Amino acid sequence: MSNRKIKLIVFAVLSNCLITSCEGAFDIHPYDVNIKGETGINARQIAAIEKQFTNKDTLRVAFISDTHLWLSDARDQVADVNKRHVDFVVHCGDLTDTSTSKEFEWSRDILLDLKVPFVALIGNHDFLGTGDQAYEVMYGPMDFSFIASRVKFVCLNTNATEYDYLAAVPNFDFMEEEMVKNTSLFDRTILVMHAPPYSDQFNNNVCKAFRRYLDFFPGLMFCVYGHNHSDAVSDIYHDGLIFYGIDCAQHRNYRIFTITPDGYEVEHITY
Amino acid sequence: MKWNTLLINMALLACSIHASADDSINVQQNLPNVYEQHMQRMKNNWASLIPTHFLIQNAGNMGVFSVGLGWSYGKRHQWETDLLFGYIPKHDSSRGKLTSTIKGNYIPWSICMNPHGDWTTKGKWNFEPLTTSLYINTVYGHEFWKTQPGRYPDKYYEFMSTKFRLNIAIGQRLTLVIPKNKRRLHNRVSLFYEVGTCDLYVRSMFQTNIPLKDILGLSIGLKFYTQ
Repeated sequence: MSNRKIKLIVFAVLSNCLITSCEGAFDIHPYDVNIKGETGINARQIAAIEKQFTNKDTLRVAFISDTHLWLSDARDQVADVNKRHVDFVVHCGDLTDTSTSKEFEWSRDILLDLKVPFVALIGNHDFLGTGDQAYEVMYGPMDFSFIASRVKFVCLNTNATEYDYLAAVPNFDFMEEEMVKNTSLFDRTILVMHAPPYSDQFNNNVCKAFRRYLDFFPGLMFCVYGHNHSDAVSDIYHDGLIFYGIDCAQHRNYRIFTITPDGYEVEHITY
Repeated sequence: MKWNTLLINMALLACSIHASADDSINVQQNLPNVYEQHMQRMKNNWASLIPTHFLIQNAGNMGVFSVGLGWSYGKRHQWETDLLFGYIPKHDSSRGKLTSTIKGNYIPWSICMNPHGDWTTKGKWNFEPLTTSLYINTVYGHEFWKTQPGRYPDKYYEFMSTKFRLNIAIGQRLTLVIPKNKRRLHNRVSLFYEVGTCDLYVRSMFQTNIPLKDILGLSIGLKFYTQ
């Protein structure tokens, strides 16, 4: 073998080693949807929730929202939730600020430090570029539901503005299905969304129609949303249905709901 | 006297004929000269647009790999402008995407590695200890916008564009100046690496506490110079 050939082989082997050892160090593009690490999170976590809490009397659920890039605050939030003996956590959306694949990984890695199961909704900030595709890979479908302690949690994508109001958002077909699906397994319903009715993201032409649909959910208890970066308890439709607004990570507060067979209690937690 | 006048007139006429003939010859000789000068100038101008190098590079927030061409200028070729086209594979998204990049490089120093070496047979090795780059990348696809679309509230995403990314990078290079008798397609070949980041990641750094290594990306490439 000639000297030149040996040199070539050495060069090829070296560059190969270099490239494989740097796997992950090469940034392809902020919106490459090249998700490393855990994917399909919601389905797996829902399976855990439905298995663990099928017949539990009292359910303690933490609702957090709007992590954006306040990652230090989010880390503290997760540490605080871990101390408070909750059964599972629901993130109400805006897992990122600009939807880059890296941001999705950063917020996911913080949420994975939770000692209990969690699910996450999609927020309007998670749609930028190809963020919606990254969300679907990392978490799953944008509309989903699960049942724990005979309470159905219906999680809806309400970010209609992201689709120029051209998509079925909120998806009434999905809502209709959820009203009648597995009715033998639940008696009450809690609705979770990112953007509340009458916000800049909701399809406000259907606010009232949306409210009418909610009446068909068995034992509707209350609604929870994020998006507004403010802690709020409001009767948006002035008809007794309470909407709980969950604050953003930066403001360092969130809510824990204790759901009992007779009703529920709400705690406002600051950390 | 009349003969005299006639002779002088004839002489003057002869002179004028000569002069005018000379003029017409000059005109005939000058016309193609102006044209040739113009053509030469034009050729020189267009020739300056001939790329001085071609390059291939991976990553760098431009795609899994990019190919391009560029121009180097300055006394020591210390300035470069590159035009690159990159490809982002499909990964977990709906399809692969193309990107284009305009990149400016500044290479302040070049150190000869073998000053006493045999340049005519083995070539000259140069090490460029620092390269600095600034580049703008565009990603193609209906998902990406230059400025926020009208559906958003006024100034909601004022700070950003999902289509254009401003990147910065620093790196190093190793260049081989190929000996004259061994040149085929190129006279110099450079192997380089860069470490860089983009505007969105720098913004993240300012917004929160994330390790620097999380926002830095490595890129390796080759440059083939023809001039």
